[in-house]
Amino acid sequence: MHELSLIQSMIDIIREERVKHGMERIMRVRVVNGALSGAVSDALSFGWECLTQEGELKGVALEIIDQPLRVACGSCGLEFEPEDKQYMPCPSCEEILGHDIISGKELYIEEIEADVLDDKGGAA
Amino acid sequence: MSKTVTIVRNVLEANERRAASLKEYFDGNKILCLNLMSSPGAGKTSLLERTLADLKGEFKMAVIEGDLQTDNDARRVAATGAQAVQVNTEGGCHLDSSMIQDAIAVLDMKDLDILFIENVGNLVCPAEFNLGEDHKVSILSVTEGDDKPEKYPLMFHLSSVMLLNKTDLMPYVDFSLEAASAHAKKLNKDIEIFPVACRTQEGLEPWYDWLRKARAGKR
Repeated sequence: MHELSLIQSMIDIIREERVKHGMERIMRVRVVNGALSGAVSDALSFGWECLTQEGELKGVALEIIDQPLRVACGSCGLEFEPEDKQYMPCPSCEEILGHDIISGKELYIEEIEADVLDDKGGAA
Repeated sequence: MSKTVTIVRNVLEANERRAASLKEYFDGNKILCLNLMSSPGAGKTSLLERTLADLKGEFKMAVIEGDLQTDNDARRVAATGAQAVQVNTEGGCHLDSSMIQDAIAVLDMKDLDILFIENVGNLVCPAEFNLGEDHKVSILSVTEGDDKPEKYPLMFHLSSVMLLNKTDLMPYVDFSLEAASAHAKKLNKDIEIFPVACRTQEGLEPWYDWLRKARAGKR
């Protein structure tokens, strides 16, 4: 629902990283989106398209990696990927409660592919 | 030549950073901060009106009211004598930590016991933004249907308390307290559930006891 503001936060981070690493032209940004992050990948793509119509990030590809939900059973500790996000019986002991989330809540920028200036100021 | 630079930065890091500094501030000043979340019309403001009026002899309390528009809620809450500040998100679907930082700058925080944050009415987005609170509290009214915890899992998963409001309307709606509680417990086995009716003032005492206990835990 607020994917547009998430994209705005991403653009702020990308701007900082661009300066920090001396990036010239940015080609691709890779984002990891967990199944429980609350952000919908399609809506992120659309928000990216809207906010990069012009300016320094115009034409930059946004690659979204969907990270599945992975939990550790609250009873026996077995790690598994539940098929259903609401009802998660453990495949081993059938416990449905108290699982710890190992991955699936994250939403982060993993990497940026760009032309990077070398020490002499030219493109490396 | 292009090069791939590894970044690994949380998209919500700016909010998380501010939330952590708010949490530190609340802890340092021994203020219990609660983030109240529900859909529009579930009774967040009515619950606050009752709570503020009933406990005003016990605690010094203040409220941050989040809404898209109007200061109606801040005026309702201020009528109980508590301090209230309105935050208008101008269309935004949730409150974030920077809004809370701005709001506490205008509140008199001295000797405050409890700060209530009434989030924007929405069962989805508010749950994703930490505000430095001690607990999230969700309110579900019986007219909304007992399957809401199942349909909007994150909010109930993260809440310490679920208040089931408007129980005075139970005879007129098909709502099962047991089903709603079971759905919520499935997501969060430690969630505390209090059926209440703010209009008829029924069932509020267990909620007040929970508040007293949570408040005592901050001293």
